[in-house]
Amino acid sequence: MKLNLNGKEMEVEEGKTLLTICRENGIVVPTMCFQASLTPEARCRVCLVEMNGELVTACSTKPREGAAIITNSKRVLDARRLNMELMIPNRSCKSEDDFEACEIYKEVGMKPRFSQIKNYLPDLGAAVIRDNNKCINCGRCVRVCAEIQGVYAIDFASRAHNEHVTPYSEKHLSDVACIRCGQCILHCPVGAISERSHVEEVMAALADPNKHVVAQVAPSIRAALGELFGMPAGTLVTGKTVALLRKLGFNKVFDVDLGADMTIMEEASELLHRLENGGKIPMITTCCPGWILMMEFFYHDLIPYMSTCKSPHEMLGMLIKTYYAKKAKIDPKNIVVVSIMPCTAKKFESARPEMESGVDYVLTTRELGRMAKIMKADFASLPDEEFDPALGISTGAGVIFGATGGVMEAALRTAHFLATGKELEALEINEIRGMKGIKEGKIVLNGKEIRFACAHGGANARKLIEQKDKYHFIEMMACPGGCIGGGGQPIYRDPDTLRKRTEAIYSADRASKIRRSHENPVVQEIYKKLLGAPLSKKAERLLHTKYTKRSRF
Amino acid sequence: MQILRKTNLKALAKAHALGQEGVIALIERKGLEGRGGAAFPTGKKWRTCHDTQADERFVVCNADEGEPGTFKDKFIILNNPKTMIEGILIAAYAIGAKRCFIYLRGEYEFLRPKLQRQVKSMLKRAKTDVTIEIVRGAGAYICGESTALLQSLQGNRGTAMSKPPNPTRNGLWGKPTMINNVETLTCAAQAVLFDNWKPEVRLFSLSGNIQNPGVYEFPIGVKMSKVIKAANPKRKLKAVSFGCFGGIMPVDENMAITPETLMMEKCHHGAYSIIFADETNNVVDLSLSIAKFYTYESCGKCTPCREGTVRMLNLLRKIHSGEGSREDLPILCELANHIQETALCGLGQTCGNHVLTSILHFPQDYEAYFSKK
Repeated sequence: MKLNLNGKEMEVEEGKTLLTICRENGIVVPTMCFQASLTPEARCRVCLVEMNGELVTACSTKPREGAAIITNSKRVLDARRLNMELMIPNRSCKSEDDFEACEIYKEVGMKPRFSQIKNYLPDLGAAVIRDNNKCINCGRCVRVCAEIQGVYAIDFASRAHNEHVTPYSEKHLSDVACIRCGQCILHCPVGAISERSHVEEVMAALADPNKHVVAQVAPSIRAALGELFGMPAGTLVTGKTVALLRKLGFNKVFDVDLGADMTIMEEASELLHRLENGGKIPMITTCCPGWILMMEFFYHDLIPYMSTCKSPHEMLGMLIKTYYAKKAKIDPKNIVVVSIMPCTAKKFESARPEMESGVDYVLTTRELGRMAKIMKADFASLPDEEFDPALGISTGAGVIFGATGGVMEAALRTAHFLATGKELEALEINEIRGMKGIKEGKIVLNGKEIRFACAHGGANARKLIEQKDKYHFIEMMACPGGCIGGGGQPIYRDPDTLRKRTEAIYSADRASKIRRSHENPVVQEIYKKLLGAPLSKKAERLLHTKYTKRSRF
Repeated sequence: MQILRKTNLKALAKAHALGQEGVIALIERKGLEGRGGAAFPTGKKWRTCHDTQADERFVVCNADEGEPGTFKDKFIILNNPKTMIEGILIAAYAIGAKRCFIYLRGEYEFLRPKLQRQVKSMLKRAKTDVTIEIVRGAGAYICGESTALLQSLQGNRGTAMSKPPNPTRNGLWGKPTMINNVETLTCAAQAVLFDNWKPEVRLFSLSGNIQNPGVYEFPIGVKMSKVIKAANPKRKLKAVSFGCFGGIMPVDENMAITPETLMMEKCHHGAYSIIFADETNNVVDLSLSIAKFYTYESCGKCTPCREGTVRMLNLLRKIHSGEGSREDLPILCELANHIQETALCGLGQTCGNHVLTSILHFPQDYEAYFSKK
């Protein structure tokens, strides 16, 4: 098909949108409501271009044969600017505001003339906070919640200039079936949605001399934190993260990977126990608090299928307040456990009454970055430091928890050993790696075929649930990509970011000396000194939890 | 009146005799155009819908007449509903639809019980397996826009969707759906049956400062003086406004009302609803009321319409309160033009007409407010 793009004749494939054509030809067309992973809605009207003398939205228009397209006329630029101006009337876009809108704001050359007319009360959820006054009604949060997460917690309400995003009946996010995954935060171009911040509480604890403040760092933080300080996506910053936390004043810095190793020991044992004793199969993993909430809201009949294991940081939090407190001779009351997590749902998780949590505060990756900026820590120049040894030895199996399929892979490595006494021949299970929505595979344990599957993104999880009976073991992650794409991670624009972070996680696994959870000496020591064996009475009490049926309304 | 001619199921019988292809060809030949305001050739719409591959098709009768000053559909539903229902059945036959809907304006609830009975009796008399459901709108003007109407019919929030896909190819539940106005479908039945049916005869809804408001029938090209005579104003008329979205122009008794002559005055005929303003009215007042209407009725989906209309309203309010100045007019025009150029649906694309034409034709009315300061 022939086209005339800015006066240049060219041949393009049929069926592509103008936006795709422009971007392929290196022409910048600003967009606000468009995201490649979501259905284009053509709401914001910023991606305007001129086609055959008419202004059309590039994201939703497919050109016809011989169309003449102009992307840089004054008419186009003026129209884009005015739409931005109407959308964001009073935005000052200071240097620390690093939102997508600000870039476009500068790109189109704004001159604010209109006054702000929005006047909403902010929605102060326990994990996710929304401020409709900043909202520009691009609808990305609504679409990601519906299309990718399959949760439908928020939608537009009212008409005209009163149109706003809200949970049903103007309720608060905490009161509706929201799984707190925080994907809406990642997709918001103006920062109207954010996590409930615990930075102040943590800084107060750090300043208190009576408190022994312990940080535990989730696997996926090390693959993403660097992005907040201008490093390219996929830079592994494990050592610098530890150094940063020490610099911020944390007394001890532990690796959640150890908790992950504990989870694996418990979960693999539970799986084998269920397989041998005719328990509920498939067993479904419960490391992801977003998925747990989804199950509790929408799939009450799944509760018996769920593993009862706590998530890694909850396990480690418990161990810090018992095993470590005893070992270091510190009163558990004076220990403050702060989890650095890629996740907003973890904030909710550690407040669950069923959990009897050992974790006091959860900070997201972004909050940690903010804290570093408040304390003026120069991240790039920090040395690489090691985790504290008391609880700090971890395995590659724990690291890959950060990526989708990782829990499954780590659990299978250990389950195979526990069941057969032999190690798995191929250590890397490639069929459950990668960004495919639903992945499946099988291994043979003692002559019995074990089929497993994993899903990431709520909508994929819903699909996988429909066919759950085909499998023995299912891993669910609420966020696309698993924890590396979690709602607490740095906001990214390049769709390739998730792949790069995943690669970093797997390279950390490859670089680990120990790659199987059951080989971790600390794990062995904890079982020897504290718990006895996996699934023992004491382990059940400290490391396992139960679930609640929640009403959707 | 032509619109009141009854067809008594003879049109449907004739349609059956002509065959699907024959009916569509006949409608095309008779030159029937959509009467909702956009004047899209009806035959073409029917043909597209008929030619689109699908296992199911739908017909929707758009009775969500909501523009202030327009009340012709109510007139038809009150006075000739059976012909309208027959029109729906003919349309369903022509494209091969089995399920039809009448999307009735929420405020027309009082029409529903009677209409329901008429539908029932017509379906019985026609001995057809086609069903017609009456669905009541919830009161949003935007749901008269075809894509928003379909969203509403499917139980979603009534917001305009970007085209393509056009509903004729991909409408209700992804199936080809033909949406026609009440008047269009009534005319379709009459056009099929009567050889002397005239396509240029249109319904005019007259209202405003006149003594005989109501629905009248005039051919396109009628002299404005004739319309004014029928309307019977008390005082000297000053301006005619074509609904809310067609624009406003000074009274010109000698002008023949055709789409072309209106275009010369930057106006658009729409559904031929005419609101008359006389010497005692100020055009700015009219613009303000109309701005209130579309600011309230915008669906809120696209930025220019959601944010732009309210800013236009605010500027008009400022002018109306005597606080405005000449500097406000360029911004007002910029906004109006901008919304028209970049909005997603027909509402946004036409909502600036009134402000633009009122500034063009009646600058003195705005001046009057500026000098009040």
